[in-house]
Amino acid sequence: MRKIAVSSLFAILVTVILVFTSACGGGGGGDGGGGPEKTVSQVLRVNLAGEPATIDPNKASWAGEYTPVWQVFQGLLGFNQDLTLKAVVAREIPSVANGGISPDGKTYTFKLRPDATWSDGTKVTAKDFEYSIKRLLSPDLAAAYASFYFDIVGAEAYNGAGDKDETTKAQLKNSVGVKALDDLTLQITLAQPRPTFLQLMALWPTYPLREDIITQYGDRWTEPSHYIGNGPFILTDWVHQDHMTFKANPNYWGTKPKLTEIQMKMITDVNAEIAAYRNNELEISRVPTGTEKAIMADPGLSKEILRYPALITFALQFNVTKPPFDNVKVRRALVTAVDRVSFVDKVRNGVGEPALSWIPPGMPGYDPDLGKEYQFNPAKAKQLLAEAGYADVSKLPEIKFQYADSTGNRLIAQFLQGQLKDNLGINLTLDPMEPKAFTTLVNNENYDSAWLGWSADYPDPDNWLPELFGTGAGNNHTGYSNPQFDALAKQAKSELDNTKRLQIWAEAQKIVMADAPIAPVFYREQFVLVKPSVKGLKTTGMDGQIVGDLFLADVYLTE
Amino acid sequence: MLKYIIKRILWIIPVLLAVAFITFSLMHLVPGGPWDRDKQLAPQVVENLNHKYGLDKPFVVQFKDFLWNTVHGNLGVSYSYQDRGVTNILLEGLPKTATLGIIAFILAILIGIPLGMVAALKQNSAVDYASVLFSTIFASIPGFVLGILLMIVFSVELHWLPTGGWGGIKQIIMPAFALAAMSAAYIARITRASMLEVMHQDYIRTARAKGLSERVILFRHALRNALIPVTTVAGPELAFLVSGSFIIENLFSIPGIGRLFVQGIFARDYGLVMGAILFYALAVALVNLIVDTLYAVVDPRIRYE
Repeated sequence: MRKIAVSSLFAILVTVILVFTSACGGGGGGDGGGGPEKTVSQVLRVNLAGEPATIDPNKASWAGEYTPVWQVFQGLLGFNQDLTLKAVVAREIPSVANGGISPDGKTYTFKLRPDATWSDGTKVTAKDFEYSIKRLLSPDLAAAYASFYFDIVGAEAYNGAGDKDETTKAQLKNSVGVKALDDLTLQITLAQPRPTFLQLMALWPTYPLREDIITQYGDRWTEPSHYIGNGPFILTDWVHQDHMTFKANPNYWGTKPKLTEIQMKMITDVNAEIAAYRNNELEISRVPTGTEKAIMADPGLSKEILRYPALITFALQFNVTKPPFDNVKVRRALVTAVDRVSFVDKVRNGVGEPALSWIPPGMPGYDPDLGKEYQFNPAKAKQLLAEAGYADVSKLPEIKFQYADSTGNRLIAQFLQGQLKDNLGINLTLDPMEPKAFTTLVNNENYDSAWLGWSADYPDPDNWLPELFGTGAGNNHTGYSNPQFDALAKQAKSELDNTKRLQIWAEAQKIVMADAPIAPVFYREQFVLVKPSVKGLKTTGMDGQIVGDLFLADVYLTE
Repeated sequence: MLKYIIKRILWIIPVLLAVAFITFSLMHLVPGGPWDRDKQLAPQVVENLNHKYGLDKPFVVQFKDFLWNTVHGNLGVSYSYQDRGVTNILLEGLPKTATLGIIAFILAILIGIPLGMVAALKQNSAVDYASVLFSTIFASIPGFVLGILLMIVFSVELHWLPTGGWGGIKQIIMPAFALAAMSAAYIARITRASMLEVMHQDYIRTARAKGLSERVILFRHALRNALIPVTTVAGPELAFLVSGSFIIENLFSIPGIGRLFVQGIFARDYGLVMGAILFYALAVALVNLIVDTLYAVVDPRIRYE
């Protein structure tokens, strides 16, 4: 612990070492090809990058937690590679046309496939889903994603009954609108229409669970021998903090996976991860931030790079309740004064896409024409600042940029400071903080300006706009409030016509961009190394901790 | 002697209480709690979590509950790893951290003491300079730099050793050496200095005058005395090595408690941090007791009443 302070120097050193050793050749390669037509080991070794806090589907809330869940469990619905919905345990996607959704949009009926089984051979029934969803909503479980399902009749009341006695809790649980009508029919009743409800039913918190197992083993049911799922793999070994082993589920009812085994290591240090990759201990590896250009220049490693867009946007957010950010022209001036192309090149090593609007490409609701007026333009930015009454920037109050202190964030902060100084003559005061202290400061809205990242829980504007820009919404930390936006959001949330709904969200996003409570800076791009032997990877913008982890059952290895 | 040891052991109790109270207060004073995240949880969810883990109770009640459970061998829940209790997590990680620490300590002693002795006996020779060079280099290279250098040479380039993990002897070599290097350098320097001093003492000259063999002089008269300062530094070094190093465990993916502890602080995992701190305090107290007892063994002039 006495050595932590030198970490940024260390980062530079590591970069140098990595580049140096790769320039010396070595690495990569493999142990020389065996004979022809030799059976190739189908063991995929990947890095989960740390011990998951939990792998209980109801409780999982981070990538590192739901990546293992995805291998072992499957829900009624799931996602295709293009992030459209597909039926998995459900026989078909409910719609008004097939009678799965009532015309008022409040009652959903899921018909289950009769052949779906658990890994111990028993049938998956509607009861397993009913149990799981009610458990998810239980106040005693205190699951992070419970609030996503508050549109279900009685859900919020049950989840809020933490201090009530057991009889009341049981009553509230019984009145939750989730019911197994028979073994193969699940009915869910909503209190109000929710057009994105099917997407929520494709997420891991609603995956089926075994009541008998969980009752028997309590919190320890997630240990390998009790972790019974209905997906393509089973968990056979979990050495805490070291690795997890998944094997193909012999009782799997769907298309059997080609891999016989997946090993997920828990290497937290990304430098160690890439070293393990180069020592042929891993098939897939992340790369240390800042080494991307060196890797692109490396003759060997550059051939193993896999890049694809992630549904993640990063932005500079302003506290609009504090001067000078209460003035929309000041905000617009700042948004216009940041050279995003140079940001991606210098700060992100050329990885990522400059962003002018909030919803990222690849998501419904992305608008390539939005935000053109914020194209980098120092002259225009100066003019906007003058219009705001700050032709003389020395009249501006002190502006702070708060951030969680890390090597990556320090680079971002210094870049933004340089941009505002060069383009507007503004002195941005940098205020690095311990990560949790920073989070608390932002969540309590006590900051001036800060860095903001948002990733998709599910691919819909519904998950990107109201939660951040609605008046008083849970993740609205800019203090932004516009009645026009709120009215549109309310309309969109219950609009059952999908085309119309997306149009309303498009309108709403335009309002937010015009008001500029945030300055979108870049869309994140995944940048990983994959050994040439790995075939059949299907990546999506919603990947968890491992690239293509929604479809690892389709992956196979060649020599 | 026995009375002294019992007295010291009894003293550990108030020390642990004080450590527990101070840590508990500090953890609750630091801004941010275990449920604060970049993507904020719904207020209802936070309320449920606080209720479930008793964080909605007054501070004093929480501390009392913690003590009560601890006395009963239950260190409570980890807020980061909710499905496993803190006692369980520590018991699983502890043997690994301790094994690594003890191997590193033995390595440090085995390298440090002979190196220091040889350097002192052959003062100003090439061996001496080599030893000084070794200690200076390893005293100034931080463990994680040495660790990554080892990894690049022995894993990435030579493919001899795995980069990390736990289970085999091959996996322990690099982390143990990276962890031991600084302590070895430190022990070598202390041994050399104290050996030089002892060798110039009158009683060594007397021993020589009596015609004792160099071996007897060296091992019976010189080394025993020269090791007193070494014992003094070896104690805290042992405590330091056994309590685990975040950097080394993190770099080599060792599933020990050093890594968990630091992650626990960042995650405001009060339960895990409290458990780990209490263990550290106990380890340091016990090691100090052992060192003080050893003084009496090494040095006949020291006696405890």
